[in-house]
Amino acid sequence: MPGKTPDKEPVENGGYRGGKDIDMTDKDLKPKGKKASKKEGDDEMTVVVPPSKAAKQSSVPPPNDAEGDVAMDDADKTAEGEVKVDPVVQTINDIKSNFALLDRAVALFDARFSLRALRSISSIRKRLTPDILAQAISETYTSSSASASVARQMLQAIGRSDVSLGRQPGPEMEIDSEPKPAGKNGAKKEAKDVIPEVDVFLGILTQVILHDSKLLQQGLEFSHYLVDRIRSVNRRTLDSLSAKVYFYYSLFAEQSCPQPPSPQSPIVSIRPTLLAALRTAVLRKDVDTQATVIVLLLRNYLLTSHIAQADLLVSHTQFPENAANNQVARFLYYLGRTRAIQLRYTEAHEHLTAATRKAPSSACALGFSQTATKLLLVVELLMGDIPDRATFRQPSMEAALHPYFLLVQAVRVGNLGDFETIIAEHADTFRRDGTYTLILRLRQNVIKTGIRMMSLSYSRISLRDICIRLHLGSEESAEYIVAKAIRDGVIEATLDRERGFMKSKEVGDVYATREPGEAFHDRIRACLALHDESVKAMRFPMNQHRLELKNAQEAREREREMAKEIQEGDLDEDDLGGEFEGM
Amino acid sequence: MADRDLTQLLTHLKSTPTAPYAETAALLSRAKLLLLQLNALTPSATTPPHHLALARDTYEQGALASIRAKNPDAFTRYVAQLRPFYELLQDDTTEEGERNKVTGLYLLLLLTQGLYGEFHSELEALSSSSTTGVVDVEGDRYLGYPVRLERWLMEGSYDRVWKAMKKGEVPCEEFGVFSEILTSQIRSEIASSSERAYPSLPLSSTKSLLFLESEGAVVEFARSRGWAVKDGHIYFPSAQETGEEEQEQEMSQMVIENTLGYARQLETIV
Repeated sequence: MPGKTPDKEPVENGGYRGGKDIDMTDKDLKPKGKKASKKEGDDEMTVVVPPSKAAKQSSVPPPNDAEGDVAMDDADKTAEGEVKVDPVVQTINDIKSNFALLDRAVALFDARFSLRALRSISSIRKRLTPDILAQAISETYTSSSASASVARQMLQAIGRSDVSLGRQPGPEMEIDSEPKPAGKNGAKKEAKDVIPEVDVFLGILTQVILHDSKLLQQGLEFSHYLVDRIRSVNRRTLDSLSAKVYFYYSLFAEQSCPQPPSPQSPIVSIRPTLLAALRTAVLRKDVDTQATVIVLLLRNYLLTSHIAQADLLVSHTQFPENAANNQVARFLYYLGRTRAIQLRYTEAHEHLTAATRKAPSSACALGFSQTATKLLLVVELLMGDIPDRATFRQPSMEAALHPYFLLVQAVRVGNLGDFETIIAEHADTFRRDGTYTLILRLRQNVIKTGIRMMSLSYSRISLRDICIRLHLGSEESAEYIVAKAIRDGVIEATLDRERGFMKSKEVGDVYATREPGEAFHDRIRACLALHDESVKAMRFPMNQHRLELKNAQEAREREREMAKEIQEGDLDEDDLGGEFEGM
Repeated sequence: MADRDLTQLLTHLKSTPTAPYAETAALLSRAKLLLLQLNALTPSATTPPHHLALARDTYEQGALASIRAKNPDAFTRYVAQLRPFYELLQDDTTEEGERNKVTGLYLLLLLTQGLYGEFHSELEALSSSSTTGVVDVEGDRYLGYPVRLERWLMEGSYDRVWKAMKKGEVPCEEFGVFSEILTSQIRSEIASSSERAYPSLPLSSTKSLLFLESEGAVVEFARSRGWAVKDGHIYFPSAQETGEEEQEQEMSQMVIENTLGYARQLETIV
C-alpha cells in the first residue's frame, strides 16, 4: 500500500511533487519502493482473495491510486470518526488482526497472506508508539510461552522491559466495536502457542519503531538478535518476512556511525551475515530473501566503492527471475552503475534504461527515478548520444536535473570552456550523486563534438584555428586529437601536415548507407520484443482455455463443412457473402 | 625480538633501493618469515596496529622492488596483499606510508596493460574516499600522474603524454619503468590514426610525429607497418577499396535476413 514514509514531514512530501532534488538515501527510496511493491501485490491480491473477515476493519483499505498518501490519511480519519474507537486500541487491534492473516498463511501455506500482513505495516507505522507495541506484545505472549524470550527482547529493545507478559486485554477492549474477535483471540491464546511468524512480525514492528525514533544502535543490536532467530528457524512461510528483516538490518548498519564509505562502517561487518543469508536463501529457493539480499549486498559494496567485489557478486549469483518488480529495478540500477564505472557503457545503458522504466511511476519512488535518470543521462553522454530534451521537462525531474541539463548543453555544443565551468560550479552536486568521476570522463566527448562541429561548418580549417577555438594546449595536440577523431570515425576529413589544415570530406547522403536500415531494424526489434513481453505478461482466468478450445474446435468444424460445401459446389455466392458479413 | 629484526631489515631495504632484485627478494622473504612469526602476514581484527604498519611497509618495499625488477605479476600480487592493510590502517593518519605511490604505480600498470575498466574501478574507490578528505586524487603527485596520462591518452593529446614521460616530469624513478611501454603504445596509436587521417606524409615530419630518433628509424617503422615509402614521402595503403564489394554483399545478406525474420514474426503474431 502506498503511504508516505513516516519520517518525512508532509511539507517535504509536497516538496518533491514540486520536483525538489531528492537524495536517494535509504530512508527515502527503500521503504518507499517497498511500499510500492506491496501496492502491486495489492492489485493482484484483491483479485484472488476475498477480503478476510478479521482484516477488513480498516487495517488494509486498498487505495490503489497514485494518491495513496491522501487516501490513506482520509481512511484513517474516517475510521476514527465513524467507529469512535480509541486510536490506541484501534492500532492494537490492527496489529492483532494481522496475526490471523499470518496464522492462515501458515495453515494454508500461502505466502500471499504474509504479504498482506506486511503491507499493513505502513498504515500501522504512523500510529505506532513503543507503548502501543509493548501492550500488543504483552497481550500476545504469556510468560510461559516458548517464545517468551523473544517477547522480552522486543520489550527491552523498545525500552519497555518493565511491562509484564500475559496481560489480559484491558477493560477498554470492551468498548471495541467488535468485541467478539477480541474475546476469541484471548481464548485462542491460551490454547496454542504463538507461531514464529508472529514473533518475526512483531520483530519487524520493533525494528520500524527503532528506526523511526532513530535509535540506530539499539536497532542494530536488536536486528542482530532477530536475524539470528530467523536463521535458527526453518520455515518457508517466514520467507517474505525475513526478507524485510534483512532489509531493516542493513538499513540500521548503513546509517550507524561511522557512515560509509569509511571502511570501519558496520556495513562491512554485516557482509558475512548477508552472504550466509544469500546462500541459505538460494538453497531454499527463497526468492524474496534472495532478491532482497543480493540488492542489499550490491548496495553495500558500492557504498564502499568495492566495484570489483560487486562485479564478482553479480557474476557468481543469479538474480531470481520472478522477484518483485522493485527489487528488479534496484538490481538493474546497481548493475548499471557497476558497468558504467567499468566503462561498459552499452550494458550500463541497457540496465539503466530498464531500471528507469521499471521504477514505480508514482511519486513515492521519485528519489529512485531521479537518481537512475541522472546516471542514465551521464551514460548516454558518454556513449556519444545526446539525451532527449523531453527528459528534462518532466515537472517532477526538472529542478533535480538542472545541472545535468547544463552539462548536456555544453557537451552538445562542444564548448570545453563551458563544460569546465559547469563541472566546477556543480562539483558538489555531482559528487553527491556519485556521477563526478563519470562526468570527468566526458572531456574527450566534448572535444570530439567540438571537432565535429568544426568539420561540419568549414570545408577547410587550419589546425591553429581549431586549437584556439577548442582551447586546446598546442597545435601539435590539436593535430593528434583530430587524427584520432578521424580514426575513430567521428568526422570524415583528411589532414595536410605540410600546410597544417584539416580538409573535410563531402558529407555523403546518409540514406545511401546502411544506417537508416539499421535504425529501422532496431525499432522493429523493439516493437516485436514489446509484443512478446506483452503476450507473456497476459493472465488468463483458470480453465478458460477449455472453452476456447471448444470454440476453436467448433470453428474448425464449421470451416471444414464450408470447405466441403465449396468443394461440392453447392454453396452459392449469396451464401458466401452472408458468411463474410457475419464474420 | 622478531619485531626489532624486522624493523632493521626494513630500514636496510629502504636505504638500498638500487640493490639487485635477487638480493632484495631474499631479504623480503626473510621479512615475510618474521611477519609470520608476529602473526601479521595476513591482517585480522586482533593484530596490533604497529605490526600492521610493519607488514604494510614490507609489502610496499616488495611492490617497489618488483616494479624495479619489471615484474608486473609480482607487483600485482603485492598490491592485492596490501589492500586489506590500507583499509585497516586508514584511521590513523600519522603514518601514510607509500600508499599513494604504490596505488599510482598500480594505476599506471593497469593503463599500460589496457585494462581501463579496472583502472576506473580503482579510481572510483580512490575518489569516493576523497570525500572524507583523505586523498586529493588530482592534486597528488603520484596519483595525479596516471590520471592525467589517461585523460590525455583518451582525448588524443599524445604530445602531452610524450612530454610527461620525459625525465624530470616523472614523479619518481619507478614511474619511469613504464615509459618504454607507454611510448610504443602511443606510437602505434599515432600510426593507426595517421593511416586514416593523412593521404601522405613527408618523412622528415613523420619523425617528429612519431617521436622517433632518426629518419632511418622512420623508414624501419614504416616497413614494419607495411607503409610504402616513395621519394621522401610515406604513402598509406587505403583500406577501403578492398572491402567495398564484400560490404555490399554483407549488407544485402543482412537485409534479407532481417526481412525473413520479420516475416516469421508476423506469422506468429497473425
